[in-house]
Amino acid sequence: MLLEKMAEETISSIGFAQNPVLVGSNPPLVKKKRNLPGNPDPEAEVIALSPKTLMATNRFLCEICGKGFQRDQNLQLHRRGHNLPWKLKQRSSKEVRKRVYVCPEKACVHHHPSRALGDLTGIKKHFCRKHGEKKWKCEKCSKRYAVQSDWKAHSKTCGTREYKCDCGTIFSRRDSFITHRAFCDALAEETARVNAASTMNLAVGNNINMSSYHHHLMGTPLGPRMAQHFSSIFNPISSPTSNETIDQTSQGLSLWMGGQGNNNNLQEIHQLGSSVSSGAMFCTDINPPQADYQLNWVFGSNNKLPAAATSCDNGSEALASTSLPLSDIKISIGTHHQLVSVPSLYSSQQESSHRHHQALSSSANMSATALLQKAAQIGATSTDPSFLGSFGLKSNGNIQVQEGNQYCGLYSTSNTIASSLGSDYEDRNQIQMYPPAKRRHLQSDHQDSSNNGGGRGQTRDFLGVGVQAISCHPSSINGWI
Amino acid sequence: MAGMVQEEGSSSVTSSPLQFFSWMSLSPGLGSPYPWHRELKSEERGLCLIQLLVACANHVAAGSIENANIGLEHISHLASPDGDTMQRIAAYFTEALADRMLKGWPGLHKALNSTKISSVTEEILVQKLFFELCPFLKLAYVITNQAIVEAMEGEKMIHIIDLNSSEPAQWINLLQTLSARPEGPPHLRITGIHEQREVLEQMALRLTDEAEKLDIPFQFNPIVSKLENLDLERLRVKTGEALAVNSVLQLHTLLASDDEMLRKNSPSGSKAQNSNHLQRVLQMNNHRTLGEWLERDPVHVLSPSPESTSTISPLSLSASPKMGSFLNALWSLSPKLMVVTEQESNHNGPTLMERVIEALNFYAAMFDCLESTVLSRALIDRQKVEKMLFGEEIKNIIACEGIERKERHEKLEKWILRLELAGFGRVPLSYNGMLQATRLLQSYGYDGYKIKEENGCLVICWQERPLFSVSAWRFRR
Repeated sequence: MLLEKMAEETISSIGFAQNPVLVGSNPPLVKKKRNLPGNPDPEAEVIALSPKTLMATNRFLCEICGKGFQRDQNLQLHRRGHNLPWKLKQRSSKEVRKRVYVCPEKACVHHHPSRALGDLTGIKKHFCRKHGEKKWKCEKCSKRYAVQSDWKAHSKTCGTREYKCDCGTIFSRRDSFITHRAFCDALAEETARVNAASTMNLAVGNNINMSSYHHHLMGTPLGPRMAQHFSSIFNPISSPTSNETIDQTSQGLSLWMGGQGNNNNLQEIHQLGSSVSSGAMFCTDINPPQADYQLNWVFGSNNKLPAAATSCDNGSEALASTSLPLSDIKISIGTHHQLVSVPSLYSSQQESSHRHHQALSSSANMSATALLQKAAQIGATSTDPSFLGSFGLKSNGNIQVQEGNQYCGLYSTSNTIASSLGSDYEDRNQIQMYPPAKRRHLQSDHQDSSNNGGGRGQTRDFLGVGVQAISCHPSSINGWI
Repeated sequence: MAGMVQEEGSSSVTSSPLQFFSWMSLSPGLGSPYPWHRELKSEERGLCLIQLLVACANHVAAGSIENANIGLEHISHLASPDGDTMQRIAAYFTEALADRMLKGWPGLHKALNSTKISSVTEEILVQKLFFELCPFLKLAYVITNQAIVEAMEGEKMIHIIDLNSSEPAQWINLLQTLSARPEGPPHLRITGIHEQREVLEQMALRLTDEAEKLDIPFQFNPIVSKLENLDLERLRVKTGEALAVNSVLQLHTLLASDDEMLRKNSPSGSKAQNSNHLQRVLQMNNHRTLGEWLERDPVHVLSPSPESTSTISPLSLSASPKMGSFLNALWSLSPKLMVVTEQESNHNGPTLMERVIEALNFYAAMFDCLESTVLSRALIDRQKVEKMLFGEEIKNIIACEGIERKERHEKLEKWILRLELAGFGRVPLSYNGMLQATRLLQSYGYDGYKIKEENGCLVICWQERPLFSVSAWRFRR
């Protein structure tokens, strides 16, 4: 019925009179046979529908509510809901002649009956896709679609699974990506081999040369993409790369233990990584943490590397002089790091031993936390509880400022604090002036936090007086001058 | 040489005035009329700084600008971003106080800040540095992953929602753990939320790479959005998948709200009403009403806090509509697990002084920890973290109010209350998680850190001072 209706508006059906130009039709099967795409059944009836028909949707309208349906069957089922008489057409008993459809667009390939499409839905979609307006747009990328089902299918997969080659090409399909990468890798390996040969000596000149060469080679296939730029930030820091063997003990690699997860990938970029690291990272030695160098690249040559000079002379010089190619090198390095596996969250030996050294030789200064505790102790005699509990310091709004006295700030501050600490301190504040000699004596005794436990009473006294004495007695200090 | 205090490492100076001044002029930033400052030993100077800071904060809180200005002037001669720990802390605190003062002249403040260029690259780098230099994030990740693996035992489809997806390390570690599962790896889907597209692209790359290598079916769905504007529809949670939510130092930003307005609208917190509220809390069965109620009214629950030495303070939860609706929405997704990592400190006090004191204690520990942990050759990195991460947090805590104040850290006890009220049940973190964390500390050789267990939650401490808390939750009817 549908076709009959359409036939009224369209050109009458044409019999397929031409010679079959088709080659290799399907071997006949028991079931409904499906021709190869593009090879219509020579016995089929060719239908040419008008554009209007092809683009039309919802031709079947419910008379009650006006809702449109694409198929009569759907309309009938809907009519049931309105308690209207409905009738579902059965598939006609006689053998239906196979129909193929041609595209009405003259310039289209499928306009010719020999390239007719066998499916009505197919020809409709084709017409929309090729000759229709692209009304549906993907929200994530810029792709547009004329057929809603295409758009839906794309939206589901857009952005979810993307494969990106180091050269910057993006693929949505795994197979095409792998194929490309195989060829892409060949280029990369060659570069690596060339570079490895030239970087055996870590002389500065060579470094510069190699890095610029490296830049030259790698610069071309790489596009200046934001993602790569960021990859340089992300990757150099936490990737073990090929530093696995070179820098097994390097610490900048933080999370990733070099030994585990040794993949094929590591092998193939081993060379590359080594060349990269030796060339651009300046030091393939054990001690310097890669992280620092790499981090400092990102900012160009602004940052000084205090340790650079001591641990790797070549490196420090190289760093200073190769500020130019850095930006490009980091791109290439970043992308290569992507290929490397990253094992557990646990670090390497070297880093831990470094930390132990650090801990042992910690600064002689008191830690800030200890200072705060001490400050709280000073205020411990305060009887006024407040949320400044840790200090016992009163939040006193009215602090007197003595105008004209340059030193008054400290003076008045400690005055207030002194006032909250009780009277005994105040007395000391006003009256006692420790002679400089004695103060110096006390001070020299009090070296660092290690003395805290032992000389507590003395220390506290000293500090209780000392702070205020320093702050409140310009005369005593002036006496030194 | 009459009684000249000697700074460590400084050469002795005679008492001749000329030499004194020439020596003084060599010291950076000390062309000051306060010559004795230079003579202060580090400890005294530190104590002096603390006292000055507190006094200055008092002035700022009281609105006495003149005094505050003088205070800042004094501190400026002692503090320095390149000095010792206390000097650096003071530098950042005074900057925050000054910023707060300056906001009193909005025109001035805007003019001074208008040409500031915030570099996204730098921000991302600083996050990375924080991850690298301190163990906190690594520990949080390890503990979280352990909790996820345990909760998802036997699950075939796992969907993880990462509220701030910027560090691939966490998920790479999870992928590796999952690939070693005896029953085979599950199908893993991670939805990452972040404000910058590039960060998410990078995450996608790294993670899909790793999943490929381990042959784990994996999908990464990026969502470019601010957390507060997150449309949960975009998360596309499907039925049949086990959902886990990962929140590392993110949840507190949702507490930011227009406090003034809320205070005006909420009923006054009289004692009688407190007990009424408490009654209602206890009688509440329906979580939805709870959630809505939480949005509107502040909850006053009287409970003696075990650790505070001060007078009993009501453990009141500040009302936050955003938090309420967000937690509700998360709850409605019925997550199997939600792991929350937060700073263990109360930086959400209503008054400035409260926040200043709490922040001083907290960041003193953080600075100490950073100083002790960061190796001497990474000082520049350390300064970056101090300035761009801690400094900015301090500035936000001290100088901002209302909706701008995002760093609303709260202690674990408050988070527990909030989440329980929102309909989540606690999932005790297993001993294995603690083991993993301790193992990580050992393998890096981090000294001075400790993992403590508290009510089934883990607290990461530096020298006895708790700094970060990790707790796990699940959907509960």
